[in-house]
Amino acid sequence: MKSTLRLSGHRHPYLMAAVVFLVLCVVNAILQPSFLKFGVATSNVAAFLPMALVAIGQTYVVLASDIDLSAGAIVSVVNVVVVSIIEGMGGTGASIAAGLTLGIAVGLICGAVNGLCVAYLRFQPIVTTFATGIVFAGFALWVLPEAGRQVPPEFYLAYAGTVLGVPTVLWILLAAIAFAGVIARTRFYQALRATGGNIQAAYQTGVPVARVRLRAYLLSGLFAALAGLALVGETASGDPLIGGALTLASVTAVVLGGTALSGCIGGVAGSILGAFILGLINNVIFFAQLPFAWQGLIQGLIILAALAGGVVMARGRQET
Amino acid sequence: MSRSFLAVSFAAVFALAGTLANAKDTFTIGLSNGWVGSEWRTQMIDEAEQAAKEWSKRGVTVKTIAQSANVDVPGQIAQIRNFINQGVDAIIVNPNSPTAFDPIFAQAKARGILVISTDAEVSSKDAIYVGIDQKAWAMQSAEWLAKTLKGKGNVVAINGVAGHPANQMRVAGYKEVFAKYPGIRVLNEVNANWDQAQGQQAMQNLLATYPQINGVWVQDGMAAGAWRALTDAKRSDVAATGEIRVDFLKTWNDRKFNSGASVNPPGCMASALNVAVLRLQGRQFKDGIFKGQYGNALYIPIPLIDSSNFQKTYEQVKDKPGYISVTTVVTPEQAEQMFFKK
Repeated sequence: MKSTLRLSGHRHPYLMAAVVFLVLCVVNAILQPSFLKFGVATSNVAAFLPMALVAIGQTYVVLASDIDLSAGAIVSVVNVVVVSIIEGMGGTGASIAAGLTLGIAVGLICGAVNGLCVAYLRFQPIVTTFATGIVFAGFALWVLPEAGRQVPPEFYLAYAGTVLGVPTVLWILLAAIAFAGVIARTRFYQALRATGGNIQAAYQTGVPVARVRLRAYLLSGLFAALAGLALVGETASGDPLIGGALTLASVTAVVLGGTALSGCIGGVAGSILGAFILGLINNVIFFAQLPFAWQGLIQGLIILAALAGGVVMARGRQET
Repeated sequence: MSRSFLAVSFAAVFALAGTLANAKDTFTIGLSNGWVGSEWRTQMIDEAEQAAKEWSKRGVTVKTIAQSANVDVPGQIAQIRNFINQGVDAIIVNPNSPTAFDPIFAQAKARGILVISTDAEVSSKDAIYVGIDQKAWAMQSAEWLAKTLKGKGNVVAINGVAGHPANQMRVAGYKEVFAKYPGIRVLNEVNANWDQAQGQQAMQNLLATYPQINGVWVQDGMAAGAWRALTDAKRSDVAATGEIRVDFLKTWNDRKFNSGASVNPPGCMASALNVAVLRLQGRQFKDGIFKGQYGNALYIPIPLIDSSNFQKTYEQVKDKPGYISVTTVVTPEQAEQMFFKK
């Protein structure tokens, strides 16, 4: 029995995240009886979606044993660029289409800058993306120095509404999961994990490691851009500081989800769970009605406890 | 007999149902604060919770749920979402952004929840603002400075965070006032990010660059820093605006500052709560009462502390802890009189 559990820990690094997620769901449902209502569940998905999207992108970079500390800044840049374009072009249907397209393009460009610096120029990933993050954040402030500007109500009503009876935010999450499912079946994904596992060995067996790392950063930029678009839907306005907190939250979500920062082990499913865990922790603290002086302390302790669970699983993994 | 009995009992039932519907006497109000960087915010929440308790004297139970944390805009939206899901009657927000809450406030209103912002105005047409007019706040102390200088002299301004909406409104306020006095010359305007140490540094630099300064217009906690620099430089001839914490008032008293301070009361959230409960009780706002750039603002009075009332104010607060700010709350009675139809 024990060995089966260890084995499953090896094959499914996100198992611990799933357990923590379920526990938090139960606690949340006890504290908030309406938790399981469809409307409330959808509202939770809407609240956690931007972090989940950034965490998905971050996962690919981390699998190659790199890191993207500019992801939150990319979210901010995309948010202010999209809002500025849509408002600047008069809020028409065409302006929304242009805003969405250019927003994605900006995310990809940011990802390309990171990827080229890290994979081809061989800059150290932590310092590089920390620095590019400052550049991107500065660019966001230059585009929109003060929070503001508005997108037409149709935009946020569509985001908060439903398509074919299913909430838009659920469609976006499902599409992201499907996309990740497709990626996981590609040769690129194999190469990505090989690169993260042992970059020298991967290189010597003919894996184009530089191209693989670049693509991982492109994916991180893409998903950060999608998170930026989700935040436009959520806030209907631009804010140059909006993504700042998402960088470390995304790394936390990835690690909570069982992906190893040393690369190779892990996957997108765990990171989505990780993002939902972080969101649920905030909810639990909210509904437990703790005095606010305690909230930060308890939040940190729960995250540590969730991480500790992951470490226990990893120990089991090593022993097998 | 039976018909009239029926009629009477129907009437009684309707009357009873009517009173029950109107006289709902328990309300839950969510308090959302997105930044905990100063004692002022803590005092704001404490006073709002206190005001909620005091409603019991009027036979109304007001429960509050406070959410106060350093969050970004999505984090504060999540707080508000939780309030909505919890089914509160009203949400009072000290908002982290003037515009980003439009969609979530629309969702709250669709669920029949009253939304009030305080301390910073919001653009949402689904919310109202109860708090001070930041521009009038600045104009009042600028007016004090101009009058104290007898309409003549060299002035510098030390401002908060460039680009912050409240700061922009305050800058517009003092500019408008100084423009009315041809004898007042604004030598320089600098930003010290609402930070006391940066305020002191800025004042030192300004004193070194412009020895001919007669007056200083400075905001909030930075005033304590600016005054320290003025004291160190032995410039008791300079008049400068002050701030409202007990610590500062003590030094003001000891050193006999020539100062005047507009009060941005931390009681603004308590005032908003009193307005919220009256509205939840079904009271209607007076016609044409809403002001401000978004047409949704109810402005509360802004006290001014200067030499004329300093001793009185100081006596009231001098035994409180140093970090406490001078405050005022619009009581339910005052709110009824100012904002609501009879």
